[in-house]
Amino acid sequence: MNFIDLLMLGFSEALTPTNLGFCLLGALLGTLIGVLPGIGPTATIAVLLPITFYLPPLAGLIMLAGIYYGAQYGGSTTAILVNLPGEASSVVTAIDGYKMAQKGRAGSALAVAALGSFFAGTVATFGIAIAGPTLSSFALSFGPTEYVSLMLFGLLAATVLARGPVLKAIGMILLGLLLGMVGIDASSGEERLTFSAVELFDGIDFVVIAIGLFGFAEIIENLENHEARGVLVSKLSRLWPTREDFRRAWPAVLRGTGVGTFLGVLPGGGATLASFCAYSVEKKISKNPSEFGEGAVEGVAGPEAANNAGAQSSFIPLLTLGIPSNNMMAMMLSAFIIHGITPGPTVLASQPEIFWGLVASMWIGNLMLVVINLPLIGVWVKLLTVPYRLLYPAILLFCCVGVYSINNRIFDVVLAAGFGLLGYAFRKAKCEAGPLLLGFVLGPLLETNIRRAMTISHGDPSVFYERPISLVLLIATVGMFVLMVLPSFRRTREVAFQDEEA
Amino acid sequence: MSAPRKAGGAGDRPDLLTAALFVGFGALGLWAGRDLTLGTASAMGPGYLPRIVCWLLIIVGVTVGGVGAFRDRQEIATPKLWPVAVILASVVGFAFIAEFFGFVAASVWLLLVGSIADRDSKLREVILLTAGLTAFGALVFIVGLGVQMPIWPF
Repeated sequence: MNFIDLLMLGFSEALTPTNLGFCLLGALLGTLIGVLPGIGPTATIAVLLPITFYLPPLAGLIMLAGIYYGAQYGGSTTAILVNLPGEASSVVTAIDGYKMAQKGRAGSALAVAALGSFFAGTVATFGIAIAGPTLSSFALSFGPTEYVSLMLFGLLAATVLARGPVLKAIGMILLGLLLGMVGIDASSGEERLTFSAVELFDGIDFVVIAIGLFGFAEIIENLENHEARGVLVSKLSRLWPTREDFRRAWPAVLRGTGVGTFLGVLPGGGATLASFCAYSVEKKISKNPSEFGEGAVEGVAGPEAANNAGAQSSFIPLLTLGIPSNNMMAMMLSAFIIHGITPGPTVLASQPEIFWGLVASMWIGNLMLVVINLPLIGVWVKLLTVPYRLLYPAILLFCCVGVYSINNRIFDVVLAAGFGLLGYAFRKAKCEAGPLLLGFVLGPLLETNIRRAMTISHGDPSVFYERPISLVLLIATVGMFVLMVLPSFRRTREVAFQDEEA
Repeated sequence: MSAPRKAGGAGDRPDLLTAALFVGFGALGLWAGRDLTLGTASAMGPGYLPRIVCWLLIIVGVTVGGVGAFRDRQEIATPKLWPVAVILASVVGFAFIAEFFGFVAASVWLLLVGSIADRDSKLREVILLTAGLTAFGALVFIVGLGVQMPIWPF
């Protein structure tokens, strides 16, 4: 089958009424949580993961993917209209978008953001369609040695590119690896680190950790930082951008798409990093940088295109190599595993309808977002006035039912509450919980491959640097580590992430 | 978030807490895995990699703590015990009640108790919300999605 046939297969899968419905549901849910500050896509997907078990595999994946990219749209709407970025990835959009809104050009900013996102989403979707088969045929030649090096590279890169202190992130990954080892050891059948609790013999469920660390801990933290939200909605003007706005926005959208697609593929990349980089690129190459921060249309178009492109292209490593590059993708990986599918090169060959259906649904979902969102902006903004005290009980109920339904037992819920407490402690200690999830999902894969590689080489670690692909990956890993230690690089990195934390 | 920073004094409290957590979990892992077979590099036993990971975790923890001890003093944002205690109690209660008395009782408990975590909650709203969400949950999760949980206690 050639490229067009495969794409047609994908569209025929994605266009069935069920899948179309779940695509719409995901996109709407994503927009909703993107609009509401205090609920992020990670928490939402954690809550909905157990529910996808009851859906057909493709429908569940389509919905979860829709939530992820839908959240990017929703986040930018509130960033522009009320200066309240719903998601981390739209923090930069608020800088110029809100200024534009104050000058009475809110409609123009929203339209540029939506159209730019749609364009970027389209390009990135084709990127996945093209890169997928190429990369995965390359990955078929990977042995356990290459996988070990690739995972080490991915894990370290994820800590360097993500925000927060690197050492803490490495510690969180190690803790995730350790938690992933709990349960019966696959090769010897011995139970380990279970404290003789029968409930732990099957290992800790991903959903328990995700809901504990992101669901419960987030609710507790939000209740603690209780602050009055003053919502001042700017007046909506005409929606269609002026010819001048179009002329200035297009090149920025193109650059943003490029930056976003590239950064999304890197481990630890994704929507947030992409939008920050795109903003600084626009600011650097602009002829009059002083306009930035005062309502420059490029400052909206670039980052918005980039965060959407980044959100889409971060699916590439997951779908082709089976390696998640950030915590969102770790969630997606476990959504695949719930249905007994291990994403990677073999899925593309054996179940092409899953890969191509998902890719096609992303494009359809992006189209839906443009069509639905522009007319619905008024409704989304009204939702902002819903107070948190009415929202969190609903989230709490979804979390509890979700955790309980995995195995129908008390133990999982109590364990999730424990992880909630742990997650709260980590927030106090200023540790990001994302790397822990990454370590947890990659842990079993990493261990199996290390053991396999070492058995094949009779315990000789030199295989890792004797095989060329593995060597290149290891050199890159070491190079990154050295870069981290260099003070000049560290300073640049700190500056780059400073705005984000503000 | 800007934690209060006091002039003079050393010790980054969040870093020290991180160190305690990392070292604690590393030590716990070593202790829990003390009887596991180590094996050799070519035939790793179940205890080989866990032990390496635990030691790495301890090393990272000690480094974070060591560096943090000499940084400027920085406080941990003051924890408020009320939301933590209430939310955790409501969640644990939910699990036990769901097991023995069914979904409706558990959901009512969770939402009523959970709501007192936020001091802004108003009684009328809470009652309406509880009724609405419980009905919604029973219909969607149990009737619709087929989650294995009785609806009523009898």
